[in-house]
Amino acid sequence: MAEKTVIDVQHVCKTYFMEGGTSQSVLKDINFQIKSGEFVAIMGPSGSGKSTLMNILGCLDKPTSGKYILEGYDIASKDDKELAVIRGKTIGFVFQNFNLMMKRTIADNVSLPLIYQKVGETERYNRAVEMLKKVNLIGYQDRPPSQISGGMQQRVAIARALINNPAIIFADEPTGNLDSKTSDEIMELFTFLNKQGITIVLVTHEDDVADYATRMIKISDGHKVYDGLRKEYSKEKEIKC
Amino acid sequence: MLTAIIKEAWISIASYKLRTFLTMLGIMIGVAAVVMMVSAGQAVQNRITDTFASMGSNLILIGPAELVTGGVRGGRGLPSVTVADVAALKTLKDVETTSYLMNAAVQAVYGSRNYGVSVKGTNPDYLAVNNWEIEDGIMFTEKDVRAAKPYAVIGQTVVDELFGLQNPIGKTIRLKGKPFTVIGTLREKGDGLMGDDQDNIILMPSTTVRQRLAGSPRPQYTGMAFVKATSEDKMELVAKRVEYMLRTRHRLKDGVKNDFTVRLMTEMVEKVRSVGFVLSALLAAIASISLIVGSIGIMNMMLVSVTERTREIGTRKALGAPNSWIMMQFLAESVLISFIGSFVGMVFGIAFSQLGGHLFGYEVPISIWSVIVSVTVAVVVGIVSGLMPALKAMRLNPIDALRYQ
Repeated sequence: MAEKTVIDVQHVCKTYFMEGGTSQSVLKDINFQIKSGEFVAIMGPSGSGKSTLMNILGCLDKPTSGKYILEGYDIASKDDKELAVIRGKTIGFVFQNFNLMMKRTIADNVSLPLIYQKVGETERYNRAVEMLKKVNLIGYQDRPPSQISGGMQQRVAIARALINNPAIIFADEPTGNLDSKTSDEIMELFTFLNKQGITIVLVTHEDDVADYATRMIKISDGHKVYDGLRKEYSKEKEIKC
Repeated sequence: MLTAIIKEAWISIASYKLRTFLTMLGIMIGVAAVVMMVSAGQAVQNRITDTFASMGSNLILIGPAELVTGGVRGGRGLPSVTVADVAALKTLKDVETTSYLMNAAVQAVYGSRNYGVSVKGTNPDYLAVNNWEIEDGIMFTEKDVRAAKPYAVIGQTVVDELFGLQNPIGKTIRLKGKPFTVIGTLREKGDGLMGDDQDNIILMPSTTVRQRLAGSPRPQYTGMAFVKATSEDKMELVAKRVEYMLRTRHRLKDGVKNDFTVRLMTEMVEKVRSVGFVLSALLAAIASISLIVGSIGIMNMMLVSVTERTREIGTRKALGAPNSWIMMQFLAESVLISFIGSFVGMVFGIAFSQLGGHLFGYEVPISIWSVIVSVTVAVVVGIVSGLMPALKAMRLNPIDALRYQ
């Protein structure tokens, strides 16, 4: 049985218009599809446009032209309110800085997306505990994040990303603030989750991190220069633009 | 949804206890000041109204005419109503009784001491009318008035100035060289509404003042005459009859102005009440300045909070929070701060005004308006001061907010 297409990016361009009439084209005619259960690394040097692409894929931004279809939703045609609903139901975010609320408990942080889905307090707590079990943090639910290590905080962020049973998890440089040992632990957790069928897209500029992914999309100067298996990638296979 | 928003707002403001408390303090002080000022104004207003009411609300006061020179009104003229006029007024229809007061400012002498005092010639009912009591000795009687006895009942200032620590009862004082026996002393009353010393007084039978202090240039005239109507609804009618009778007795031709004034106690109460209301409103307006300062404090704190929590706002938006939720949460935070601040301020305001009333011997009413105003102010201040920061939070671009360091 063929896997379902979760992400369909067709001729996506993104141009920023500056004051004074100048413009900067950041993404140029990007095309790709991501199917359910894939583990994709989006790579590229600084300023290549990978973060912009991530913002569009995460429904935080819209393409200037082209089509982006996520789980059947045509994102370009949605307003802010609808995008918020799609983000809450379809996407799980993992950020480089973890973005946890330090004055709240770990359970509160994990269950935060559920508030916007109007889930009751008790159910939120129970589901948070369940997610913490998944990322091996059982027993920490009532503590504040400041009492745990950076690696554990990122696991809390992963649990938060998983709580809505999203179609896809976007991780933006998830190991950028971690040491190599902890980075490996986090990447192993992503691999484990992917093996359970969760689609994962991560943005990274580290080869070691990208090695955990099965597929790699490389962006350079706003163009897609490579899209294929990570293990088959070599500099020579990049398309010259 | 609203419960969840309020709970989130509560947790957020509870996370910054000191800052929240200091911000609340501004509103607390503001509301407490408004409540105290309104209560104080109302207490004074009630006290004045009660004082007038205790003098009898169906009282008509007759005094000297106003002086008008070249169109400029300047104080009161000489007394024009005589004792005979007052006696004649008693025969009018619907008049219950009449009385009068004779004032004289004289130098009282006892031994080697002397002091300038206000002498009032009246009848024994003066004490009841003015809520006054005898401290020591007795008050003169109606019989003493008829017999024009040389009796004096003296106020506490006169006691202190003339007698010091001596007991004044039975002693003889001299006014205009004539002897008067002190038969009683009055309980201390303190300053009057205008800051005058109410205890610098000597009460005497009106007949005594008229006959014995004959040095007065117009001894047969009264300073102020009182006509008590049989009921409040007859007052207007009685006032007209009084005016007609006095004009006839004073032989005033048509077109000539009255040489006296007739005023109804009800009108005076109304005037004083309206002055009291204006005074209360003015006090509340001054106190509300602190409320404005308090609300600026909330706005300031909320703006700082939005800036500080920019990344949190970005994260919340990325995790699915609609813009309306973000706005409502920040609005709820400011409303909660001002609501709690107002409630505590109201409680303190009521407590302090009761305490103040107790200390100064005033009965301070607990006004339902204080409660309504406090709650309204809480919600309005909260919304007004929280709206701008909430809109700022709502309009944040999630990408920029997530990048904020």
